[in-house]
Amino acid sequence: MKIRRRTLVAAAVAALLLGGPAAAQEVKGEEHVLPNGMKLLLVYRPDEPSVAAGWVARVGSVNERVGMTGISHLFEHMMFKGTTTLGSKDPKRDLEIIAEQEKLRDEMRAEESKMRAALRRGEVDDITKPESRTPRYKELDAKFDLLVKEQRDLLVKNEFDRIYTKNGASGMNAGTTNDLTLYFITVPKNKLELWFWMESDRLRDPVFREFYAERDVVYEERRLGVESTPTGRLDEAFDSIFWHSTPYTWPVIGYASDVANITKAQADDYFATYYAPNNLTAVLVGDFDKAEALKLASEYFGRIPRGKVAPPEVITLPAKWQYDLRFEGEADTNPTAEIRWHTVPFQHKDSYALSVLAELLNGRTGRLYKSMVLPADAVATEARASHNGMGAPAKYAGSFNVAAEAKEGKTPADVARTALAEIERLKAEPVPAEELQKVKNNIAAGSFRRLTSNFFILLQLLFNEGSGEWKEMNEGPKKLDAVTAADVQRVARTYLVKDNQATAFVTRKAGSAPADDDAALAGVPEQIRPMIKQSLQRLAAETDAAKLKDGIAKMEAQAGQVPPDVKKGIELLVAKARERLAELETAGKK
Amino acid sequence: MKTMKTPGRTSSLALLGALLLAPAAGAVPPHPDKLTFPKFTYAPPSAKEYRTVLKSGPVAYVAEDRELPLVSLTVTLRGGTYLDPAGKEGLAELAGYLLARGGTKSKTAEQLEERLAFLAAQINSSYGIDRGSVSMSLLAKDLDEGLAILREVLTDPRFQDDKLTLRKGQLLSDMKSRNDDTADIEARERGFLTFGEGYYLNRYTTKTSLDGITRDDLVAFHRRWVDPKNVVVAASGDFGKGVTRAQMIGKLDALFARWPYKGEAAPSVPKPAHALAPGLYLVDKDVNQGRVSVMLPALQRDDPDYDAALLMNDVLGGGGFTSRITNRVRSDEGLAYSAGSGLPGGVWFPGTFRASFQSKVRTCAFATQIVLEEMKRIREAEVTDEELRTAKSSFVDTLSRRFSSKAQTMGVFVDEEFTGRFARQPDYFAGYAARIEKVTKADVKRVAERLLATDRVAVLAVGKKDDLLNPDPKHPVKFPELTAGKVTDVPLRDPLTMKPMAPAAAK
Repeated sequence: MKIRRRTLVAAAVAALLLGGPAAAQEVKGEEHVLPNGMKLLLVYRPDEPSVAAGWVARVGSVNERVGMTGISHLFEHMMFKGTTTLGSKDPKRDLEIIAEQEKLRDEMRAEESKMRAALRRGEVDDITKPESRTPRYKELDAKFDLLVKEQRDLLVKNEFDRIYTKNGASGMNAGTTNDLTLYFITVPKNKLELWFWMESDRLRDPVFREFYAERDVVYEERRLGVESTPTGRLDEAFDSIFWHSTPYTWPVIGYASDVANITKAQADDYFATYYAPNNLTAVLVGDFDKAEALKLASEYFGRIPRGKVAPPEVITLPAKWQYDLRFEGEADTNPTAEIRWHTVPFQHKDSYALSVLAELLNGRTGRLYKSMVLPADAVATEARASHNGMGAPAKYAGSFNVAAEAKEGKTPADVARTALAEIERLKAEPVPAEELQKVKNNIAAGSFRRLTSNFFILLQLLFNEGSGEWKEMNEGPKKLDAVTAADVQRVARTYLVKDNQATAFVTRKAGSAPADDDAALAGVPEQIRPMIKQSLQRLAAETDAAKLKDGIAKMEAQAGQVPPDVKKGIELLVAKARERLAELETAGKK
Repeated sequence: MKTMKTPGRTSSLALLGALLLAPAAGAVPPHPDKLTFPKFTYAPPSAKEYRTVLKSGPVAYVAEDRELPLVSLTVTLRGGTYLDPAGKEGLAELAGYLLARGGTKSKTAEQLEERLAFLAAQINSSYGIDRGSVSMSLLAKDLDEGLAILREVLTDPRFQDDKLTLRKGQLLSDMKSRNDDTADIEARERGFLTFGEGYYLNRYTTKTSLDGITRDDLVAFHRRWVDPKNVVVAASGDFGKGVTRAQMIGKLDALFARWPYKGEAAPSVPKPAHALAPGLYLVDKDVNQGRVSVMLPALQRDDPDYDAALLMNDVLGGGGFTSRITNRVRSDEGLAYSAGSGLPGGVWFPGTFRASFQSKVRTCAFATQIVLEEMKRIREAEVTDEELRTAKSSFVDTLSRRFSSKAQTMGVFVDEEFTGRFARQPDYFAGYAARIEKVTKADVKRVAERLLATDRVAVLAVGKKDDLLNPDPKHPVKFPELTAGKVTDVPLRDPLTMKPMAPAAAK
């Protein structure tokens, strides 16, 4: 089942931010702040002889600008490239090579600028093609490769990973969202000092070596997650339109041409601003001695100086929108509809009622499933709703969304109509007490289920802290439990309204429909089969409805005058032409 | 933009800061290798402590854990999609899904869903390729009601007709997406290359087979295969105020006592007869990133060489950033986001070695060449001490993470029981570290020689074919020259019949 989705990391956020209830067990965290402004949160949980450890930087794609979109995420990759101490056999020469590489890159950037100009004049059609490179660029590229080779011979390849791995650490990874960047790992309980050593070293003294190869890796990640997926580019476009006027309008992974052009100098500046200790919170969950952890924190993280400038505030506020925006696209996918509304950010007082509202709609006993999927004349195969989830972001602005896949024979417009009727019902009638209680019971149980693993507790704390503050993990559930039926009705009436709304319809791309032609052709006499098959393929790719209508009329006129054998073939063509016409009309329907 | 701040400057600044702020100068060793750690040896839990045989037949693993007021139960069932009769492909999957979703004798599907939702209880059922599963998670206070529901789900599923129709519609919708995502296409064609057309894993549900499945088929499937003879159970969590583990075992016994039907013991999983044929296989799909798999037949989990093979693969491509394929394809050349290898030890039959990556279409051949070079290198020269040490630690020192909660621990033990390893090696985990430590560099080289016959590889590539065969001039590697066998065009399959489509019709 594929419903429109964002990048993995962003999608996971919703689940992590949706907390549990009042009766719920709280996370007993002990908070400390080092003199340099770095926050430290300790959660003791001795079940397993290990510690889940991580830290979050309060920076994400929302802090970027056009021209260098994707830098937060690329930067996350660079944090694994080592330090002066780790990663190179000859750190001095390594740094010299990096400086020489940058000089060459400056020259290559000048060539890239020429290539862009050539593109704008129409002299080349695609500057990502190897054939579009200028002769000078190729020359410089060859020189650059020599430096890369020299550097590679000095590398202690991925030493940062190797040291952790050979010490029994596991699950080292990191993630970037619109709002935050987080880093995490699990270490054996006797190796906590190693974690402090490694993390403080890369925060204090990172070396961004192999920068340009890693940039290519990120471009491949973009192809993997966006460009080569059936709906990746459409999702990105809809997000961009929905979040226009805010720094959420560009994707976390960055625009393709920006990712290819981020410079190491930009990365250096970015690090100095956003990775200062006063912009970070570290979290430990597991089996460790608190006094020992505090002592290590002060010894290791205490070495890092406070940042010289405070990270700049995000200023732009979402524009008042006052229209019902429509978005349509085609892709290799089953038809889907998504309706999205502008709402409120993380920790806003109305965000709790909106979360409860989403849960009333969700699940197999939720209102969407009952009205859209279960009835005999259902419009959808699957449907779901979320607040600050699949429509993301959360920290500076919010969204509520409903998304569903159309059932065979139904259109995205049918899906949207039914979903909106459910929303209207929520505005008109207060939710019955038992239904509201069901949602709260599930939130309560969820608040226990979220506490079954050190690693999962760590992630939730990092996400909450990066989006606002970790204490929300304990406070949020109480606020969710206090939501009333009147609150739900009020937020539905306030936010889920037409002039706050955007609707996306995605239909199957012409010609990519499952072609059950072989079975259908079985009834056609063998001698005309190849001809009919060819015509079927042309039909499937036809995008002009008028032409199809004309063709159908002509074929129907002929059908009475041809031999019975040929007639079967024409009937099949007419039927398929009608199907194609219906597809086109569905796609065109507002 | 061009004013560069060298990391050197950053580092001297940081050092200055360190001097000013560090409370105890000299406390921080200059390199992590200089750190000393307290001694710690992990002793994994033993299956025997949790294992019991219920009077009603099934083996059960039961662990009490009162940290949270939750209890979870999993009933694992022998059987799977291999039980589908010819022409009824999809039966096990449908029956599995509808066990818990189609109502029971005393409750309609709607009543059941509403009650479970109100209790915030989660119940799921399914049949996969080699086992079925019915699992339940609920608040401790609701255990008895949950067990009563579970008993009905297992013995008296209603298989409501409207829910069968609904599920068929959802499956049909999924089927229509079979050619949309290159990842799905690649996984499917890999299966066909590895196991051949006739093997059960390649007998896909089609529109025709789905249309032919009736409620009677589901009922017959249930009566025949959902039987205590096929069951292994796991239970963990808080069993309720004052309820002891022994009393919980009594409740589990009752769950399977007085079974109303006479079922059959499920036969074992059939073994494939097909051999992977060397060569290059191309699927043409218009995307800008290709997906490549390099495959060879591998081992069964119980093979005496398996531990050495595991370590060999970890160094080669299984260990992420500490492995060679990842280092060369990703870190050195920037050719892929994800690049590595896997060597799953087959449980029922030998697994398949697979090195894989995704790269822009015109560098796929170049990256494949690097993968093949690394496969040759690990066959021809011993790995380093450092590499072997890192690989061993990544298995031995992370063992505790496979037992990080009671529920997870019970899951591991049920798997050991279910797959028969507990019967053969009841102390598998107790001896785990010693077995891994025993592997030598010579062992690693020997298994690489045994397994990595680079002249016998089957390479599958999905992407825009013209570009796959038109390499980036910077790395002009010719794809067809990398493999010994011939080049085969693999057509897309009709998503509803799974018959190969004529190439012209394929997009």
